[in-house]
Amino acid sequence: MKGVVFNVLEEMVIEQCGMLAWNEILESQALEGIYTAGESYPDSDLFGLVDCISKQTGIPAETLVGAFGERLFKGLADRNPMFIDAESTLKGFLKSVHDVIHIEVRKLYENPNLPDFEYEDGADDTLLMRYRSPRKLCILAEGLIRGAASHYDTQITIDHPVCMHKGSDHCDLIVKFL
Amino acid sequence: MDEQTQNNAYEAAYEREKRARLKAEEILENKSRELFLKNERLQESYDLLQKQQAVMLQNEKLATLGTLAAGMAHEINNPLAFVKSNIESLTKYHTSYSRLVSFIQEATNDLPKGTQTKLTKLFDEEDIEFIQEDLPELMTDTVEGLTRVRDIVMNLRSFARTQSTDRSTAKLVDGIKSTLKLLHSELKNSVNMQLNLNPLPDISCNPNELNQVFLNLIINAKQATADQKRPTITISSDQIDSEIVIKISDNGSGMSEAVQKEIFVPFFTTKPVGDGTGMGLAIAHGIIKDHNGEISVSSIEGEGTTFTIKLPIN
Repeated sequence: MKGVVFNVLEEMVIEQCGMLAWNEILESQALEGIYTAGESYPDSDLFGLVDCISKQTGIPAETLVGAFGERLFKGLADRNPMFIDAESTLKGFLKSVHDVIHIEVRKLYENPNLPDFEYEDGADDTLLMRYRSPRKLCILAEGLIRGAASHYDTQITIDHPVCMHKGSDHCDLIVKFL
Repeated sequence: MDEQTQNNAYEAAYEREKRARLKAEEILENKSRELFLKNERLQESYDLLQKQQAVMLQNEKLATLGTLAAGMAHEINNPLAFVKSNIESLTKYHTSYSRLVSFIQEATNDLPKGTQTKLTKLFDEEDIEFIQEDLPELMTDTVEGLTRVRDIVMNLRSFARTQSTDRSTAKLVDGIKSTLKLLHSELKNSVNMQLNLNPLPDISCNPNELNQVFLNLIINAKQATADQKRPTITISSDQIDSEIVIKISDNGSGMSEAVQKEIFVPFFTTKPVGDGTGMGLAIAHGIIKDHNGEISVSSIEGEGTTFTIKLPIN
């Protein structure tokens, strides 16, 4: 996982619980907490941190990951405003994730281990985003989509009928634009 | 200084450091992107250079072969001329000789007995009857062989052409259309033709020779698509800047890179023995070079082939 994800998690914890709480979390995980945006760090570090935050705050891990996804969108958007500027609508932005943003990320980093997205425009102004990733972070992806919706000031619902956590090899995230 | 103020100072310093780090990361990302783009451009230039080097080597090889072919054609042509002339004389002599033999055979009975016996013995010993039978066949085969040698020499000279002859102002699109008319019976019901022929400016050229190039390429394309379910040949013509660009593509069997490197070399053929001379594309290359143009091929095995002809407008 890229250091930028840890950076945004740190920002979120400090905003919500203070710097002391973040220091304690790092200490409890025996982590140095030095994360550089472009460097890769073990996924287990992130999952350990999320578990620890969940235990300390009493927020279920799933809710926490979703909320982190929303905050992560803001963190990434602040750092890379050009991708947001390039698309004027939420749907346009979501569709650009796989073919524009991920390609740009690959230019910068070797083996960024990005998830795969396939798109299908549905009836009734819906967009099916088919998610595939060995990390199975579909809840994070949902949070990122909600973060983007909030940025674009667009009301949406997300349906998640097919899920890798229920034995499928992919997740179907059906975004309905209200 | 109280503890609160001290904490605020640290927090402010932390925020400053964080902003500085974000800025540093942004600079790093921008530089990485720049580096990536520069590397990409470098790779493109390198690929282009390699391609051009391959084309240059190919052209040099063909030019050398052209000189060799011209020399060989010239050297073979001289003896060929007198062999041909001698054969013509020999054919005439053979008629005289046949008449003489027939006369001797008729006159045998009028000769004295002893001479008759000697003559018959000589006829038998020399197998004159067989010679009489075999000679016309030998002459026909020799003439056929000489015709083949003459064709090879002519093909070599076509490949090695060095001077422009019979130039006139012509419309290439009309040339393509008339070539297609010529091939109508060959192509109808067997190939789906797609024409994207944009009008082209008239150019000074040898229209017959260029039509020969189109003919060769279209026939090759047709043969390459023989095993396809839906054989398609696409011909396009465009003017790009000061060049005429004609593309003849097929969805046929395609060629390996090794074959692509050799196709313009005289006598190179992938067709079964007797089906092709291996001179079609070598001659096409010679004709296009003679028009100060370029002919190139791009092909993917199993997907098809595109020949691109570029000719200068002036």
